[in-house]
Amino acid sequence: MPRFFFHMYNGHGDTPDEVGSDLEDQAAARRLAIDSVRSMISEDARRGTIDLKGRIDVMDGAGNVLVTVEFAEAFEVRLPDGTRL
Amino acid sequence: MIEKLLLKLRARDVVSPEEEAAIRDTIAEVEDVPARKTVVKRGETLNRSVLLIEGLMCRYKDLRNGRRQITALHVAGDFLDLHGFTLKHLDHDVMSLSPCRVAYASHERLTRITEDYPHLTRLLWFSTNLDAAIHREWELSLGQRIGAVRAAHLICELHTRLQIVGLVREHDFELPLNQTELGECLGLTVVHTNRVLKELRERGLAHFKKAVVTIHDMDQLKAFAEFDPTYLYLASQAR
Repeated sequence: MPRFFFHMYNGHGDTPDEVGSDLEDQAAARRLAIDSVRSMISEDARRGTIDLKGRIDVMDGAGNVLVTVEFAEAFEVRLPDGTRL
Repeated sequence: MIEKLLLKLRARDVVSPEEEAAIRDTIAEVEDVPARKTVVKRGETLNRSVLLIEGLMCRYKDLRNGRRQITALHVAGDFLDLHGFTLKHLDHDVMSLSPCRVAYASHERLTRITEDYPHLTRLLWFSTNLDAAIHREWELSLGQRIGAVRAAHLICELHTRLQIVGLVREHDFELPLNQTELGECLGLTVVHTNRVLKELRERGLAHFKKAVVTIHDMDQLKAFAEFDPTYLYLASQAR
């Protein structure tokens, strides 16, 4: 299985992934990135903040960005004024 | 071979030479198992229990969507599958995380212990009760503690448990699992786990790298985790 690295850029500062994870394919890596964003934002939400500025770059071992997941992409956001993000 | 188990039990009560011999007599077989091998499968009929001699093992349950929760970690000296002695099959799987040496105690001989050695029986009962106490603490972590505190608490717990069996060095200890598996203990994805570890690093508390946990400031780590080892029942008393 190929190894993917999930580098994160957001309000907590950059979190590089030095270890990487072996996953079936790029689609699985994207799913994991989305799952992770949801998990982290829900924890932040419990602490009172939802900050959707941020992204995860999924890279291969050579440092090529294969997929980018923006935090906002992981959610459907409905605001009180009726707007949807 | 059962020295670590004896260290664990003797930290809590006296184990007589006769009782020690009785434990040794239960061991029917010793096996070296590679990392990531399921040693006890959910549902299989059991006639022996696993005693961990060396290495790191876990109990886990999977959801159909592939998500895994590691529900317990077991260190050397844990008679981890005494549960199976009375349950006769398990509702979960037991897997090695690192290369492990395990001993198998036959249920037949364990039955004899329960008949002939009431105090030793209570000590083994204590050890399954201790497993339950650790499960409760993990429940509290999973339900109520935020990720970074949850990770800090687990590090404090493992440090304490490994210290009892002589497996911690001055500032660090080996924790032979990867970040995905650590996340499966914490109920976090591997990416979330990475963020949590980064927070512990940046707070100057602890560091997890290449299967080694380094503790930078034990007092601060315990304070951050609100770690109270009462649930590990560390006092030696008649049981």
